[in-house]
Amino acid sequence: METVLTHSDTTTIQLAITAVVLPFVAFLLNFLLVPKQSKLSGILSGLAICTSFALAIFVFFQVWNHPALHVQRVWFTIGGTQIQLGIWLNNLSVLMLLLVSAIALPVHIYSIAYMKGDEQYTRYFTYLSFFCFAMLALVVMDNLLLLYAFWELVGFASYLLIGFWFTREKAVQANKKAFIMNRIGDVALLTGIMLIYAHYHTFDLVTLFGAHPMGATGERWVTIAGLCFLMGAIAKSAQFPLHTWLPDAMEGPTSVSALIHAATMVAAGIFLLGRVYPLFDSTVLTTIAVIGCFTAFMAATIALTQTDLKRILAYSTISQLGYMMMAMGIGAYSSALFHLATHAFFKCLLFLAAGVIIHEMQRLKHKHKLDFDPQNIMNMGGLRKIMPVTFVTCCVAALALIGFPLTAGCLSKDGILIQGFAWAEGKSPVYLIIPIGAVLTSLLTAFYIGRLMFKVFFGESRLQGISADAEPEAHEENPLLYLPMILLALGSLFPLFSLDPLKFEKAWIVKGFAGFVGKAGSSGELIPLLISLLSIGVVAIAYIVYVKQKLQWLKFNGVLFNISYNQWYIDAFYDGVIVKATVGLSRAIAWFDTYVIDGVVKLVAGIGLVLSGISAWIDQYIIDGFLNALTYFVKQAGNFIRGFQTGRVQGYLFTMLIIVLALYILKTFI
Amino acid sequence: MSMLSSFLFISAGLFCIGLFIVLSKRNAIQILIGIEMMINAAILNLVGFGKYDNLANSGQIFALFAIVLAAAAVAVALAIILNVYRQYKTIDPAKVERLKD
Repeated sequence: METVLTHSDTTTIQLAITAVVLPFVAFLLNFLLVPKQSKLSGILSGLAICTSFALAIFVFFQVWNHPALHVQRVWFTIGGTQIQLGIWLNNLSVLMLLLVSAIALPVHIYSIAYMKGDEQYTRYFTYLSFFCFAMLALVVMDNLLLLYAFWELVGFASYLLIGFWFTREKAVQANKKAFIMNRIGDVALLTGIMLIYAHYHTFDLVTLFGAHPMGATGERWVTIAGLCFLMGAIAKSAQFPLHTWLPDAMEGPTSVSALIHAATMVAAGIFLLGRVYPLFDSTVLTTIAVIGCFTAFMAATIALTQTDLKRILAYSTISQLGYMMMAMGIGAYSSALFHLATHAFFKCLLFLAAGVIIHEMQRLKHKHKLDFDPQNIMNMGGLRKIMPVTFVTCCVAALALIGFPLTAGCLSKDGILIQGFAWAEGKSPVYLIIPIGAVLTSLLTAFYIGRLMFKVFFGESRLQGISADAEPEAHEENPLLYLPMILLALGSLFPLFSLDPLKFEKAWIVKGFAGFVGKAGSSGELIPLLISLLSIGVVAIAYIVYVKQKLQWLKFNGVLFNISYNQWYIDAFYDGVIVKATVGLSRAIAWFDTYVIDGVVKLVAGIGLVLSGISAWIDQYIIDGFLNALTYFVKQAGNFIRGFQTGRVQGYLFTMLIIVLALYILKTFI
Repeated sequence: MSMLSSFLFISAGLFCIGLFIVLSKRNAIQILIGIEMMINAAILNLVGFGKYDNLANSGQIFALFAIVLAAAAVAVALAIILNVYRQYKTIDPAKVERLKD
């Protein structure tokens, strides 16, 4: 690893470290110095992330498509093993570095306005900076140990932010749920790391993948380690079966949902898969693809019927993460990361817009003294007239999510679909399920996001006595709210990623990971066109159903609706089976503890008590009794003899006489 | 009844009377008298047994020594009695109990 670094490389690395550490500095300052409700905290955190972003841009251009930079120092030594501390800047990490800071910056700006007036303003930015630090550090770390540490820290930051409004019972429940479900994945990840260490005695990713062609060895433990890493990614990226924490995590502030639970942290699972990609053999890859595809499909069906705005977006996120997962599994490494990047922009945007919409609904609720759930899309409608900026940006994001041509989402999604078909080509027809599932998901996506848009923005307000036309348009007055949205909307369009809006192969991100590009199949040209057309058709159906109010037979209340509305009963299953089983088991163990273990202990204690009682009795009555009798006798003897000592001379004389006489008598007769 | 046994009987009686006086009287002087009687009983015995030593008359000589010693003892005893009286303003031995611990 002793490559000589040039001066400019050293600078690059120092700048990268600075970019990582700056949010931490902001965190420390906010934590220690800034008063509880000070505007300063937002500015501090914002400045830190802004600088980080600038540095990340610079680092990105230094490293992208250049040889990877890797520096490390000895951290500590255990026995003969040296644990290294270092950073590894390759295409993947600088891309993530840039992406995280690029998403975090608008979210910070947005948060300054969004969290205004909150009692815990400083605490919010403290946590947010802490999260940024952990996330940025996570992406540049060069060894699994540190990766794991920061992995835990982002989870912890997420926990803190989900439970940010900790006075709400639901928020507390949600953050506990997120924490516990993530713990399952973390344990698996740790197991995977230990497995790797046990075989190769190093945590260092560069050494690990430089020297050992892992996935190709075909050994059993490599598969197991791969599955362990996959499990970690599943928990963090909210994939089936550990996805249920993410919809609940929407109890946190919406800006947090945008940054952490849509764009960055949940993508950490995908990032992890990308970071240890050489580890996976074909078994693991197929598992990844199947899980990803299933999750994508399942979450999309759930999103069809949910009524909570943020929950729909949460399930959409899960679905899109499933897409990325599937892409990883089918070998479309570059497309997965490409989709990660584009998704971060448009999903973050959707969440920020949701935040604005919810604020607006709350405002209307207070203004008209109504009682309704401001997050329920059934109560919305006609908002495009009140909030034109939100409407337009939302449209861009929705189109990107659908994969409409000219948007960034189109490029990345097409990439995945095309490579999906290419992957299934030449394999048994069973494998076709995956790309077909992806296509279905893509159509479902078009429908649910169409439903969301039409319900929220089109038609007339469903609230009684409020006409959208009567409301003045001035409620998007704060540019800090909609400026980030406009920025993100621009990022959701194609030019940021590729100059050619139709061919995903031309996107610079895909080119950057050229080594991993899967071959495009023969049907490469046809599929995107077909899917785009179909998507448009689906959106049109949604329009007819929700705006024109026709085709009402689609709104059936059958079994399928119930399955979807109740989120495939997975939560119910977890509550009913796993939670109940765990609680039951705990009760049984508690009973065992109380009655069996405690019983044995109490029995032993009882035996001890009885034994000691006996010995106390012996001590008291036999040993002490003997001594007491002895002293009693001595005392009585003394008292008796004391009687002779009267102090009178005559008494003594008389005694003497008696004794002498007695002696004589004894001498005479015996 | 020979001479000697009558001597011994008188001596024994005298001793017993002295002893009784010593044990029963409430006056130190009387007790002293009782003691003198007991000493004299012993001296009488010495004189009585002196008939077995007609040559040296050691019995009689012992008696003389004993009389002298008794006189000296009486002097000492009287001095003690005097001191006791000074101390206790009484010579009743029953009331002098300081010999007790």
